[in-house]
Amino acid sequence: MKKILHRIGQLFFRKEHESVPFKILFADFKKSLELNNQILDLIADANDKLSGDYIFDEQYIQSTCRRLTDLVRELIVIINHLTQQKYSGLYNSFHHIEEEIESILQGKILYPVTEYILPYATVTRDLVDAVGGKNAHIAEIGSLLGMRIPDGFAITTAAFSAFWEENNLEETVGTINKEWQQERISVEEASRTIQEAVLDAALPTKLEQQILRAAGQIIRGEQKDAPCFAVRSSALGEDDVASFAGQYRSRLNIPLEELPRAYREVVASLYSPEAMEYRLHKDFRPNEIMMAVACQLMIPASASGVMYSYDPVRPETETLIINSAWGLGEPIVSGEVPTDHFVIDRRPPHTVSQMQVVRKEQSMVLQGCGGLGMEWVREEQRTEPSLKNHHLQELAEIGLRLEKYFKKPQDIEFAIDREDRVIVLQSRQLTLQQERPPRACDLTGIGGKYPILMRGKGIAAMEGIASGPAWVLGRDGDLKDFPMGAILVARHASPQLARVIHKASGFITDVGSTTGHLATVAREFRVPALFNVENATDLLKHGEDITLDTECLTIYGGIVQELNYYSFHEEPIEEMYEYRLLRRVLKKIEPLNLFDPNEENFTPKGCRTYHDLTRFVHEKAVETIIDLNFYHAHHRDTQAGQLLWEYPLDLILIDVGGGIEGEHEKGIRAEQVSSVPMQALLRGMSYPGIWDMSPSKVDFSSFMSSLTRTTPTRNTSPEDVGRNLAVVSAEYTNINFRLGYHFTVIDAFISDSVLDNHIYFRFSGGVTETTRRARRTRLLGDILSHYDFLCELHGDIIVARLKRMDKQSMLRRLFLLGLLVGFTRQLDVKMVNDTKIHEYFNKMKTIMEESNE
Amino acid sequence: MSEQTSILILDDEPIVSKRLRPSLEKKGYEVETFTASADALKRVRERQFDIVVTDLKMEGVDGMQFLTEVKSLYPDTEVIVITGFATMATAKESFNKGVFDFLAKPFKLGEIAEVIAKAEAKIKKS
Repeated sequence: MKKILHRIGQLFFRKEHESVPFKILFADFKKSLELNNQILDLIADANDKLSGDYIFDEQYIQSTCRRLTDLVRELIVIINHLTQQKYSGLYNSFHHIEEEIESILQGKILYPVTEYILPYATVTRDLVDAVGGKNAHIAEIGSLLGMRIPDGFAITTAAFSAFWEENNLEETVGTINKEWQQERISVEEASRTIQEAVLDAALPTKLEQQILRAAGQIIRGEQKDAPCFAVRSSALGEDDVASFAGQYRSRLNIPLEELPRAYREVVASLYSPEAMEYRLHKDFRPNEIMMAVACQLMIPASASGVMYSYDPVRPETETLIINSAWGLGEPIVSGEVPTDHFVIDRRPPHTVSQMQVVRKEQSMVLQGCGGLGMEWVREEQRTEPSLKNHHLQELAEIGLRLEKYFKKPQDIEFAIDREDRVIVLQSRQLTLQQERPPRACDLTGIGGKYPILMRGKGIAAMEGIASGPAWVLGRDGDLKDFPMGAILVARHASPQLARVIHKASGFITDVGSTTGHLATVAREFRVPALFNVENATDLLKHGEDITLDTECLTIYGGIVQELNYYSFHEEPIEEMYEYRLLRRVLKKIEPLNLFDPNEENFTPKGCRTYHDLTRFVHEKAVETIIDLNFYHAHHRDTQAGQLLWEYPLDLILIDVGGGIEGEHEKGIRAEQVSSVPMQALLRGMSYPGIWDMSPSKVDFSSFMSSLTRTTPTRNTSPEDVGRNLAVVSAEYTNINFRLGYHFTVIDAFISDSVLDNHIYFRFSGGVTETTRRARRTRLLGDILSHYDFLCELHGDIIVARLKRMDKQSMLRRLFLLGLLVGFTRQLDVKMVNDTKIHEYFNKMKTIMEESNE
Repeated sequence: MSEQTSILILDDEPIVSKRLRPSLEKKGYEVETFTASADALKRVRERQFDIVVTDLKMEGVDGMQFLTEVKSLYPDTEVIVITGFATMATAKESFNKGVFDFLAKPFKLGEIAEVIAKAEAKIKKS
């Protein structure tokens, strides 16, 4: 023993110059946890303000952002202190985000790209400020939902800015706008003058070339001869916030060489009299006025139409409405031609409840490339329905999927192409003609009709209503199989679940907190989420249809149609400038892009929001504190001594503050240990009968028992010395055990603050052949999962994590780990067959139930 | 008693009036809103309001001056202070001046409605 202490002493001496006292590192670690919680709380608070319930002003937004900036900066300083500047790359990401936030606060709209052109295959919703709502939606519909859309590309807001700057249009527009607002000229005159200036302006050469090149590439991919394009507006906020429907110009059937002209025409329509009035009414600031443009392959439609996923006037009828006619969609949208009218049940099998077929004399058709015209419909087609039953079925499914995906009723434009396929041209939010409905739980009469499976338990992480089949995530469940539109039911609100955020219509978990990662993601995507239901995974059957109402903390059996349209109420607050500003700035703060530490983007460079930075630092802080005790020796400013007890385990305790009481010159008795997590572990490890004192009845028993002593067999590397060590403080324990060939790490922080609490457990190695080891790993996995740990198995290594439970529950689980540590020593030699797994599993459960932990 | 309770709101951030006004009008109050303290001051010299809701920190006439003036003109007008810079000192000062209640921004619509209802009850009692 003396030898070991001497070795440790030597080590301290040698490392003295370069090492930071552990106490300080540990204080850093604790500080980082504290900051982490403050930041998440502040983000959640700010996010709450978007609920519509609060009155907040610009000054609130400013001060919240500055506070967050300060806290995140401090967090980055700390992790770099803790790791000797290992993550200095975080500063770059941080400064970049900070600058973006600053410019948003100054009223600038960020266009996050330098590219003028973005093909649809590269567009995601993250790029909405670059490509506008229409482009972002249609691209997502194509790439994420796999529906048919016209091939195309976005001409970005960066292109718009370049065009504006090169021609000094900001000044021109500003002057004319002012004259109008001071009522010196009429809106018509203002609009005409601005539009003329835009049409006369020259496109930057680079922009013009890129448009022609992108369009050329699409043409080359087409088999048909010389296809043409549709050029449409995709202004910021056009689809998202306020409905600008029909206010901007579209240009159809445009040949390649005329695209630059069409682009200018569409952009100029930003300043149509209607749009100008509308923006004035909605309090738009000059900086908010930008337009991206959609350039799409023209579909030579045999029929076209518009579908509403809900009857906007009478949503309670639970029907979809479709209007369609022959040919292109433009005269249908503008109401120039009579249309067939279909009313379809929203519920499968989507029966057509009404069909009014009108006489359709004329239709708009393409006349070569560049030409459009109204033509007579062939006589026999005139009284035929423009859509067949299979179209209606497909459309109904498309409508409901889009509605679920975008979380709002949808207004969808579609075309039937020459191959008789349904093509989605556009999907935007549909406004229901309805006052804000009463809270769903105030509705009477629902309770009687549908069984209430659960009421009054849990906390709403995101308010709302979701319906669909329950998909219960089992221990072997794979999120890859998660079906579109289902409600995910899981034991824990683990961040990993965010992977299915695009598919899930709701989340229910037994355990979880509203400040957790999943909660924030659920709010970002507006997916209703109910956490802490306690027994949802037992209560709900896999595949059973349920309706989740998180406002009223209720789960109904079946699909409660009455509740469905209540989930889509309008939020008038979205028309306020401050609301838009907060939402914009939160986009740089709240979304979480780093989900999984094993993913490639889990790097300083991958951090794109304050939330990402915070998540990254948290992960690395825990990792670092574990590694510090794993690979490095300890410091001489700490108290250290050997644990004195009757079990065959040599353990050096290092106290960094409040973990050990009294004199311990000659060693530390178990009752002197005042570290709360360590006490719980020791209670488990010393549970009567759990620690097998007799040598195992195997051939190499003597070899085994010799190894349970810490005396290193190869006492060469200083790292070996550090391995049977526990670093403790009043609330913290980090243990590295080496028992035989078993290698165990436990890292636990347990306090009254639930958010700080974590347990990390890692177990590997073993002296027996692989089958027995695998049995042991399975047993550990079963037991740990049963007690709520998130387990990962890699060969014979098992890593288990647990976070954010209350103190008592955490301590109970540490007691369990204590039992396992004592017990597993015997395990692989006794795991002679598979029935043993069950036997030991039950034995552990019995002990847990009998003990008063 | 059937007379409408009148409320004056003064805040230099337009969003406050914009959101408060419709919500209070829906509840049956008579509401006038101002973003410039000079205009509000002019108005209170013309007539009395039952309840005044004011921010503290604004350009021009400061909210504290405004509420002092209101209280000296009409001691029975109830003043509710809303502010983003809530410190103990300012809260104390405004209570010393006879302010009915003090709300820190941001606040919920329900919270201010509750405070206004209490002020209204107090006025009707006396």
